[in-house]
Amino acid sequence: MTRTVLTIIISFLCLSACKQKKPKSPGKEGTETIIKYASGFRITHFDSYTKIEVSAPWPDAEEQFTYVLTGKGKTLPDGVAYDARIDVPVKNMVVTSTTHIPALEALGVEDRLTGFPDTKYISSEKTRKNVENGRIKDLGSNESINTEVLIDLQPDMVVGFALNGGNKAYDIIRKSGVPVVFNGDWVEESPLGKAEWIKFFAPFFNKEAKADSIFNHIETEYQNARKLAENITEKPTVLSGAMHKDVWILPGGKSWAAQFIRDAGGHYLWKDTDNTGSLFLNFESVLNKAQDADFWISPTLFKSYNELKTANPHYGEFRPFQTQNIYAYSKTTGPRGGMLYFELGPNRPDIILKDLIHIFHPEVLPEHKPFFFKPLDP
Amino acid sequence: MKPLRSYKIPFLLFTLLLVFCFLINISLGSVHIPFKQIITVLFNGETEKQAWDYIILNYRLPKAFTAILTGSGLAVSGLLMQTLFRNPLAGPFVLGISSGASLGVALLIMGASTLGITIFLSNISFAIAATAGSFLVLLAVISVSLKVRDTMAILIIGLMFGSITAAVVSVLSYFSSAEKLQQYIFWSFGSLGNLSWNELLLLFLLVCCGIAMSIFSLKSLNSLLLGENYARSLGTDIRKSRLIIICTTSILAGGITAFAGPIAFVGLAVPHLTRQVFNTTNHKILLPAVMLYGAVLMLICDTIAQWPASEFTLPINAITSIVGAPVVIWLLVRKRKMIF
Repeated sequence: MTRTVLTIIISFLCLSACKQKKPKSPGKEGTETIIKYASGFRITHFDSYTKIEVSAPWPDAEEQFTYVLTGKGKTLPDGVAYDARIDVPVKNMVVTSTTHIPALEALGVEDRLTGFPDTKYISSEKTRKNVENGRIKDLGSNESINTEVLIDLQPDMVVGFALNGGNKAYDIIRKSGVPVVFNGDWVEESPLGKAEWIKFFAPFFNKEAKADSIFNHIETEYQNARKLAENITEKPTVLSGAMHKDVWILPGGKSWAAQFIRDAGGHYLWKDTDNTGSLFLNFESVLNKAQDADFWISPTLFKSYNELKTANPHYGEFRPFQTQNIYAYSKTTGPRGGMLYFELGPNRPDIILKDLIHIFHPEVLPEHKPFFFKPLDP
Repeated sequence: MKPLRSYKIPFLLFTLLLVFCFLINISLGSVHIPFKQIITVLFNGETEKQAWDYIILNYRLPKAFTAILTGSGLAVSGLLMQTLFRNPLAGPFVLGISSGASLGVALLIMGASTLGITIFLSNISFAIAATAGSFLVLLAVISVSLKVRDTMAILIIGLMFGSITAAVVSVLSYFSSAEKLQQYIFWSFGSLGNLSWNELLLLFLLVCCGIAMSIFSLKSLNSLLLGENYARSLGTDIRKSRLIIICTTSILAGGITAFAGPIAFVGLAVPHLTRQVFNTTNHKILLPAVMLYGAVLMLICDTIAQWPASEFTLPINAITSIVGAPVVIWLLVRKRKMIF
């Protein structure tokens, strides 16, 4: 008897805890926004609402998220399933990654931002001002957002990013009635794919046309620069990264950083590795392969030859060190020392690419003023 | 007690094994360098490739010597702690030395950034921070050891210091950026291949100093085996020898942690492994034996960690723990049959 009761209770608990299956969306076909490079999201417009589906909020995500955007007070057609419903245009929002900020600024809606975790990492001048004058509240850190402060802000939505599905803070925010929307721009691997996430932000402010024209400009600039570099037969060899103790950390052959080197007409010495993240290699193998490289880019946080030499005398053995051909993104920083390469870089791949072409092939873009990549100090 | 002569053969074998492991260690690595070329470089010749000369002379050789020094030093300090506390599970870090060093390094890497100061991190600054951290903890432990009669209380107090520092480190980690965390984590993995010849010389002097001090304590160590009261009746000044043993351990473990990071398990496991082979508890035999055994084990661990013939490398701590943890488990299971 008790067993039967227990079974009934347990199955009831299971049933109530399990997520309800989403019913199929209504048959009416919407129009899809053209997404050329990004693979993590889709946008479909219907008569009375817009649907955004995020399929890659984090690497190897098994669930997909559906967000429905409608005008305030509008009713949705029956049977539309969603994970969050957002009334647009959004007037007051929280984002969680510095990479979201340039998109908001480009769309001219940076004044809608009212909260951000760890504001000290924000480098952009416009948004920095809003932090200084108290318009943007600091919410602690992304992995443990200060929920009380956030709920007190009552934002229309939170654009979150999660390393996996286990960010507890977002669940609490969701339960408090604030919609959470996952942004997976960082999961995207191609330079233009990352930049195309500006289109993801547009529908929240009814700025689709503006986002399209901004992205088309970036795409055209990028592709034109790439074609210029493509025709050059001389490809200089390139080393990247730097050491932690005696382990050299450098971008994998299929990573975002490695694709820039390829598109800029450089021969990245580890281009044949299949890794999309970082490689952790032993010092001797790096020296053996790259001692005579032509260029060395992105030696992590180092800003000068002197710092490199102080940190590890081994660095002096590499030819780019001797010929002073090391270029770093660490010298382009915001007022609080945050690196713009990580904040603005994903949104402006065209500038990164032109910087690198300018370094590898100075004759191709002689007019270009490097923005992210600058030579190291002595 | 067996006469000292009867240990000649195992000592000879271990010395040969050490030479063999040393040669294997410098001839294997990510980059394949023919053995002939290695011998050429060692005898002041030049190989066909400049990078090879550099790798052997400035990377593999210092790394092998670092392995020998850390292996012997940690094994000796582990032996001293096990004898002092008469506890088979004591190791060089029971006094909170590595926690102190970790705190120093964490403050250097993460504390500085939280306070908005950027210090440029070189090897020497790591070493200074680690030394300062372990020295502070050590001072606390010594001042306690002068007040406390019971040696066991020192053990507990050392563990408490460890907990406090670990808590501070976790608070620092919580507030620090991903890059800083990565830097700290990499330090905590331990690393042998990161010392220049000058740093190596400094480490060599520290280890020699520690070993000289432990030779000086041999007699009191042997009497401590019989228990503190018995040692007193033999005329050993317990407080004085306790202080010397604690200082010796700190110089060894602190210095090694400063240069190579907190290397786990070697100090705990080697003395037991050595007792199994040499079948004695006499420190006159054990001291040189653990030095040899520790050096051999560290060379083997490093050779495995370098993962020969691939570009990848594993953190030395992972390997030492893979060797060390089963030993500890086995010890706990067979505790009754232990030579201790």
